[in-house]
Amino acid sequence: MAESAAEARIDQSLVARALLGDDRRAFEQLVRRHQGMVRAQLCRLLHGDEAAADDLAQETFLLAWRKLDQFRSDARFSTWLYRIAYSCFLQMCRTKSWAARNAQDDEMEHLPVPVHAMDLQLDLARAMRHLSVAEQAVLLHCIQLGLSHEEAAYVLAMPLGTVKTHAMRGKAKLKTWLSAWHEAAGEEQTS
Amino acid sequence: MNPIHDNDIDTLLRQSFNGPTTDVGFSDRVMQHVLPRRRRSLWPLAAGILVGTVLCSLSLYNSPLWHAAWHGLRVGEWSSSTIIMLSTMTGMSLLALVWTLAEADDH
Repeated sequence: MAESAAEARIDQSLVARALLGDDRRAFEQLVRRHQGMVRAQLCRLLHGDEAAADDLAQETFLLAWRKLDQFRSDARFSTWLYRIAYSCFLQMCRTKSWAARNAQDDEMEHLPVPVHAMDLQLDLARAMRHLSVAEQAVLLHCIQLGLSHEEAAYVLAMPLGTVKTHAMRGKAKLKTWLSAWHEAAGEEQTS
Repeated sequence: MNPIHDNDIDTLLRQSFNGPTTDVGFSDRVMQHVLPRRRRSLWPLAAGILVGTVLCSLSLYNSPLWHAAWHGLRVGEWSSSTIIMLSTMTGMSLLALVWTLAEADDH
C-alpha cells in the first residue's frame, strides 16, 4: 500500500515536470514506467495480437501526452492510462477491419470444447474466451491487473454495480466450466 | 477431485497473466513521435467573447423591450420587461454553466 502511494507520488511529480517545463524526458520516464502494463492490458484485450497491442499502446501514450493537462491526481496515473488504452481499444473495435477479423475468431471460439483437456491453465484460457467481452474486461482489470472495483469502473466507464455483477458472473461461469472439465479429467485419470 | 473455489479461479487467473511486457525499444519508438506541445492561445476565446458582446449589444440596441427593461432597472422598478430581461440573462448564464460543466466532464 505504502509502495503504491510512493509510486503514485513519483508519477505525479513526473507529470508536474512534464507539464510545467514541457519536459519530454519526464514524460519518457512515465512511458518507461507504464508501457509494460499498458501493453500487457492491450495484448490481453486483443487476444494476444502483440502488433496491434503495440500500435494501440503507442496511440495511448501519444494521446496521454496531448491530454496530460487533463490528468487529475484523484486517479492513479496508471489507471488514467488504462482508461485511455481501453478507449483506444473500443475505438479500434468499431473499425470494420478488426471487427471482421474478430468475427472469424468468434467462429473458432464457438467450436465444441474438448472435455479431455488436461491442463487447467489451457482450459482457463479457453474458458476466458467464452465469456462476454465485458466479463473478460472486468476480470482482466480486477484480478489480473490488480485494480479495485472502483478503479475498474473508472477505466471501463461502467457503473460500479455493473462491474461487480460482471466479476461475479464471470467467475461463476469459469467455475462451472472448469469444474466440469476438472471432473472429466478426473474420471479419465481413474478409468 | 476437489471442487474449484472462487479463490482458485483468482489464483489461476493471476497465474495465467504473464505480467508487464518487456520494453525492447518500445519507449524509444513512442518518444520519436512525441512532439512539443502547442501552448493553447487565449486570443480566440477573448475575440469570441468580444465579438459576441458587440453583436448582442447591436441587436438589442433598437429593441424597445431592452430600453424599457434598462430604464426599469435604473429607477429600481420591477416591470415585466425588467423581469424578462433578468430571467433571460440568468437562463443564458445557467445554460453556459451547464455546458461548461458538461464539457469539463467529457474531458
